[in-house]
Amino acid sequence: MDHSFLFTKKILLVDDEPELLELVSVILKEEGFENIITASSVSEGIDAAKTEKPDLAVLDVMLPDGDGFFLMQQIRDFSDMPVIFLTAKDEAADKLAGLGLGADDYIAKPFLPEELLLRVHAVLRRCYKTDAPVVKLACCLIDFERAEVNRGGETIPLTAMEYTLLETLAKSAGKIVTLDTLCEVLWGDNPFGYENSLNAHIRRIREKIESDPSKPVSLVTIKGLGYKLNTRK
Amino acid sequence: MKSFSRYISKYFVSFSILIIGLVFFNLLAFIWTFHLIVLNDYGSSSPQNMIADVNAASRSDGISDEMADKLRSCSIWAMFLDSTGRCLWSVELPTDIPIDYSVQDVAAFTKGYLCDYPVFIRCREDGLLVLGYPKGSYFKITGNYYPMNTVKIIPIFSCAMLVIDLTALFLAYYFSRKKIICFTEPIISAIASLSEGKPVSLSISGDLSEVADSINRASRILSRQNQARANWISGVSHDIRTPLSMIMGYSGRIAGDTAANDRIRTQAETIKHQGMKIKDLVQDLNLVSQLEYDMQPVHKEPVRLSKLLRSYTAELLSTEISENYPVEIHIPPSAETVTLDCDARLISRAIGNLIQNSIRHNPEGCSIVLGLNCEADTICLSISDNGVGMSAEKMKELKERPHYMESTDDRLDLRHGLGLILVRQIVDVHRGTMQIESKEQKGYKVSLIFSKSK
Repeated sequence: MDHSFLFTKKILLVDDEPELLELVSVILKEEGFENIITASSVSEGIDAAKTEKPDLAVLDVMLPDGDGFFLMQQIRDFSDMPVIFLTAKDEAADKLAGLGLGADDYIAKPFLPEELLLRVHAVLRRCYKTDAPVVKLACCLIDFERAEVNRGGETIPLTAMEYTLLETLAKSAGKIVTLDTLCEVLWGDNPFGYENSLNAHIRRIREKIESDPSKPVSLVTIKGLGYKLNTRK
Repeated sequence: MKSFSRYISKYFVSFSILIIGLVFFNLLAFIWTFHLIVLNDYGSSSPQNMIADVNAASRSDGISDEMADKLRSCSIWAMFLDSTGRCLWSVELPTDIPIDYSVQDVAAFTKGYLCDYPVFIRCREDGLLVLGYPKGSYFKITGNYYPMNTVKIIPIFSCAMLVIDLTALFLAYYFSRKKIICFTEPIISAIASLSEGKPVSLSISGDLSEVADSINRASRILSRQNQARANWISGVSHDIRTPLSMIMGYSGRIAGDTAANDRIRTQAETIKHQGMKIKDLVQDLNLVSQLEYDMQPVHKEPVRLSKLLRSYTAELLSTEISENYPVEIHIPPSAETVTLDCDARLISRAIGNLIQNSIRHNPEGCSIVLGLNCEADTICLSISDNGVGMSAEKMKELKERPHYMESTDDRLDLRHGLGLILVRQIVDVHRGTMQIESKEQKGYKVSLIFSKSK
């Protein structure tokens, strides 16, 4: 999937440690994010969110004039922008576990640059996915807007189930998606015993997207766990 | 209801011995006190001997001088009455004693006293010999007659009284013991839970309320200390995270910076790697202390373990693990739908720690297998590798030696991490057991066994 449009998104960082702000913005800038704004308190954060209208907020939980959860609630009053928390995991771990507050993800301190980037990309992709309706695979293109596969001039339509499966896999492209997640997407909670049906759907998708369906390269099986969709840039 | 025998207990034997001993002691004291009197009673001045002597040394017309002197020396008077009640002779007869007696007079004094003098008599063919001892020297029972029926029931009566007394003593013992146990039972169990480090709160009135208060105080101090310790660890682990983020962030950047030379990048890689170790340690330390002092809320809900294992493994394969450590997952169809009432985050943490353990002990790489098996009423979650394993001695050491967190012996070497201890705590929270199997060069396998949720 082409994600270059994501680098134009504006990201608001709120943390009271200047060094940490510096670190996070350096990591994001080096990755290619151009619009980074920073704030070091709840009040500054609210002001920046109002005036700059960022597309994503990365908030520290502990701030000098309140906590990040409060800041997020304030932001929610006027914006639906995605929010990622930076947290020293133990604090309010349970609040975060359910992300019940409407946060989109959280990153436990201490974190590695890769981890930060992974989460930021994932959240941006999830929240702004309609911007990229086409996914490139080894031997074809999937056009999600039209729900069809373009393969050497030929177009093959996708069924609703195939579309949902591919959409789920594409959202986590390059990562393993478990059998459970796929079954839940298709059949709802507690989907026991649907593995055979899932296999059938996967087989049909492979016939549409793989050059050799018996030796898949794009939609690969991870034994015992699930499937992975390999995309091309 | 406590068992009857519990209240009787071994103290009953010593209690019985005490009573028997007491009776025996009383007897001894009695004998000691009275044996002189008894001896005296059978000595030469005793009424029995004296009257025999006087009888032998006297006739109806008088008494030998020698005997009369002996009587005087013992302050005893004597008289001899003939069959008509007239005094034939006397020795030292006090002036208030008459010398003529009617039959009624004789009948009145023979059993007891004559003008308050205890008297002893001997009937002879020719008259009556009377010895009078000083006033107050002897006590005579004058009315010693009982109905025959009364005398006959004395043995039965004594036996019955003995039985009643023994029963009363036994009941007194039993109830006092029961009362003591009633009062001490909560105190003993409170001390037992204190010794396990659990807080207690006792409310007892009466004699033992002070003891209960002290125990409550000790418990409060203990929980305050535990709380302080847990807070301290939590604070330190919290404060260390931001600086550690910086260390890991920048070292990670340098390690991936193509502009830097290889040596610098390798060194940055090392810093990053060590930073991650500190991160694991800090997380483990905090969770261990939270679990240890019951300060970690455990949210148990039914979790499908197969799903948990798969999503955990998918996450692991997607992000962290190197290719030297292939991870496989074995879930037979029978275990596919099994659920366990557990805190999913804690169980994932335990699995993660065990995988980290395998990786740490096998720097050359090894394959790791996660298994889930379901028996009749147990669920077995296993993490095994085919790595270097552990020798029998090491195994023994691991099982027997206390972890340094739980020991005050500072000679123990401090190389074990907190990984296993945390796993054990998590298993304990879920009322499961942990088994470690290993052989040198034959891999290492840890099984976490839980009973099925009802």
